[in-house]
Amino acid sequence: MIRKILYSLISILFSFSVYTEQQEYEYEVIADNLSHPWGIAVIDNDNILFTELSGQLRVIEDGVLNPEPIKGVPEVLFAGQGGLSGIILDPNFDSNNKIYISFSSPDEGRKTNTLEVISSTLTSKSLEDVKTIFKASPSRKTAAHYGARMAFLDDGTLLITSGDGFNYREEAQYLDNHYGKIIRINTDGSVPADNPFVSIDQAKPEIWSYGHRNLQGISVVNGVVYENEHGPMGGDELNIAEPSKNYGWPAITYGKDYSGATISPFTEKEGMEQPIKYWVPSIAPSGMTYYEGNKFPEWTNSLFISALVPGDVRRLEILGSKITKEEILFSDLGRIRDIATSPDGSLILATDGPKGKLVRVTNK
Amino acid sequence: MIINSFNLILSIIIATCLVILQETMSNIFWLISVDMPVSIGIFISTYVSNLFAMNLSGAVPLIALIAIGFLIAYLVTRIILVWVNISRTYAYAFAGATAILAIVLLMPLAFYNLDILAGGRSIFGKFVLTSFGLLSGYYFGKTLDRQRAS
Repeated sequence: MIRKILYSLISILFSFSVYTEQQEYEYEVIADNLSHPWGIAVIDNDNILFTELSGQLRVIEDGVLNPEPIKGVPEVLFAGQGGLSGIILDPNFDSNNKIYISFSSPDEGRKTNTLEVISSTLTSKSLEDVKTIFKASPSRKTAAHYGARMAFLDDGTLLITSGDGFNYREEAQYLDNHYGKIIRINTDGSVPADNPFVSIDQAKPEIWSYGHRNLQGISVVNGVVYENEHGPMGGDELNIAEPSKNYGWPAITYGKDYSGATISPFTEKEGMEQPIKYWVPSIAPSGMTYYEGNKFPEWTNSLFISALVPGDVRRLEILGSKITKEEILFSDLGRIRDIATSPDGSLILATDGPKGKLVRVTNK
Repeated sequence: MIINSFNLILSIIIATCLVILQETMSNIFWLISVDMPVSIGIFISTYVSNLFAMNLSGAVPLIALIAIGFLIAYLVTRIILVWVNISRTYAYAFAGATAILAIVLLMPLAFYNLDILAGGRSIFGKFVLTSFGLLSGYYFGKTLDRQRAS
């Protein structure tokens, strides 16, 4: 009898909490049957560009998915984790229609590939004036850990995340390559004169920070650069990235290798930065957006990080460099590849996989 | 039969311990090269930790993988030895080396072309791992020969 009463009480409590959560927001599927949606760029509430890893640039026009992909996208290597990846609008997109796209591009012969970023002008149905503004060097044999997210600093320079290529993890500690780095370039592909390593011989001048693994989310908030990156087995990180800083991978890490081996027994060292948060076990953080909308007042000024494992969104409240609260949201949608904020304050999510969706989270 | 099984298990354990040693050393040597404060104590504790973790908490239990490789390689060698008159010791040594090399080369095919055994990424690493397979197989073949002789 007592057990029955206890079960009933627990059931009532549980259903109430779920009901409360459902009262706060609802999902609206904007587009479905998408081929591995990866990156989102919101033009306005009803017009959204997004990439599909398999190589298509798609557009939601006036709230409806255009069945025809945008033409003029370069050839991509769709393999492993590679394909058409990040997308970002130029800060002056309203006047110049410029966009930037990152992708894994096959080298001649397709034996190697690399991370490439193009700039282009978006017309109604195609990309024009396509120009390569960055190509990571050296090329890789693996199709993994590209990074490939982008964000603009307040001075108009472009940050590009460049992953460690998995097999090349040690290279993240050296400045003569682009593995495991945050890159900073001008939008025409030139290197800003005030990049931190421009005066060092052998160093790639595009490098802004180093010692990263596979950076899958980046946002600039009031001049502060937040980036999240996948650890190996455990050790996913949220960092505040700053120029010239070394984030330690793989010399320090909170994760283990997939084989179970210890990559490094060290988690800290002087001269290497600590994450402001790390996750063990891994959540596989993907996209990131800083929420400044007012549709959900209780979420204003929160950092949202989408996650692939087991599949949810982490809402983080940050005070200075401290995380004061972590809330798990949208855990009923599966793996979430990217997240963006719409001007009306709704959130746009991209679910992962060969039948991915674009979902709008709005209030009831 | 029991002794053969014991020697088979022992050769698998030897190979597993050596492969883990190579994995540990490749990581530790790189850490030393970037001035991380590695001591003998850290090296030993990392190796012991890897002995457990690589068999219990990795994506694939290493000892199981090596056991499958060795069982197939030894079985094929046993069949070949029925018809071909070559040294048993060297035949099993070759089988052990082949088994480890096959594991190192085939594992990436199951993991998006990624080398899950980080110590086997370089040609030198592959060579060392294959040599450890050779040693383990040599042990197995040698003990079989000794049993026959006695």
